[in-house]
Amino acid sequence: MSGRRDEFLSDEDLDLQNLSTEELETYWRLWLIQAQTTNHEDRASYSHGVFERDPSVP
Amino acid sequence: MDNPYIQLTQEFNHGRLRAILASGQAVVLYRLAIMSKDGDWILEEEAEALAHVVATLARHGARYRYGAPLDLRWLVHGWSSHLEFQEGGLRLRCDFVTRPPRVSPVVLRALWEAPVQKEASVVSLPVLAELKKTNREKDYAVIGELARKMEDPRLQALYSRSVRDLMKLAEDHPEAVLGAVVERPLLSRIGQGREEIERLLDEERRSLIRKNEVRLDRYGEAAVRWGAEWPRLSKEMAGRPLAEAHAIKVEKAAEHLPRKP
Repeated sequence: MSGRRDEFLSDEDLDLQNLSTEELETYWRLWLIQAQTTNHEDRASYSHGVFERDPSVP
Repeated sequence: MDNPYIQLTQEFNHGRLRAILASGQAVVLYRLAIMSKDGDWILEEEAEALAHVVATLARHGARYRYGAPLDLRWLVHGWSSHLEFQEGGLRLRCDFVTRPPRVSPVVLRALWEAPVQKEASVVSLPVLAELKKTNREKDYAVIGELARKMEDPRLQALYSRSVRDLMKLAEDHPEAVLGAVVERPLLSRIGQGREEIERLLDEERRSLIRKNEVRLDRYGEAAVRWGAEWPRLSKEMAGRPLAEAHAIKVEKAAEHLPRKP
C-alpha cells in the first residue's frame, strides 16, 4: 500500500491542531465575523434540530 | 476563551452542568474545522436546567425562532428549540435538544456522567460522529476525520470513512473490526477489496442521509399546524421579554404542536 491517505478536510482545517488556544480563538472570532455576511440569506434556515425552515420568512 | 458560544456554555453551566456543546462548535473544540456560525447544545432533561437556560438567554435579549418551546413536554420526544440574539455585531443562534438523534439512552447517560472537558463541556467523539450523520455530504468528511481522533480501534472501525484506514485496522486489530461487524455490516466485506468497500461506504452514506430525511419529514409533517400558526404567533411574541414570550409559546404549542411527532 502507498503512503497516501484518504483526505477529508483541507490542510487549512487540519492546521487548527497546531494553533495555540489564543490563535484558535482569534481565527474563530474572525471566521464568525466574516460569516455574518450570509445572515440575511440564511435567516429562515436551520443548522441543527428537526425544523428546516421558518415559515414566517418569505 | 472569548468565543461567545464558549461563554454561553459557561453561563448555562453556572453552578452545575446543564449543557453540553455539540455539533459544529464541538468540531472546533476538537480542532478539526470551523464550519458553523451557530451554537448547538444537548441540555440536561431537567426543568431547572431549561429554566436556567431561558433565564440566561433572557439576559442576552434572546428571542425565540420557529421551533418547539424549551419545555420538556416536547423535548423528550426529540423536538428541538431555537433562539437567537445579537451581540457584539454577531448574530448568535442557540439550538437545543435533550434527545439527540441516533444517540442511545445508555450513551446519553454516559455523556452526562463523564462529559468531555475542552474549553467547555463538549460531546464525546462517538456522539459527535452520530450527530454528524445528517443529510449534508460535508458532515461525512468530518466523521471520517473524527474517527481518526478516536483511540479505541473498535470505535475507529465503527466510524471510519476511509478505505485505507479500514484495511489497516483489519490488519492491525482484526478482533476490533470483527467485534463491530454487527453494528456496521460493511466491515465484514473488508477482505473483498478497495472498490467494494468504496461502494459500500457510498451506499452507507446515502442510506444514512435518507434515514435522516425520513426522520425530519416525520417532524415536518407533525409540525404543519404549528407552522401555519407561527407567523401570527411570532408577531404576538415580538418585542416581549423572553419569559413572557416563552409562556405564550408554551400555551400555543399545547394547542398546535403534538408532543409526539
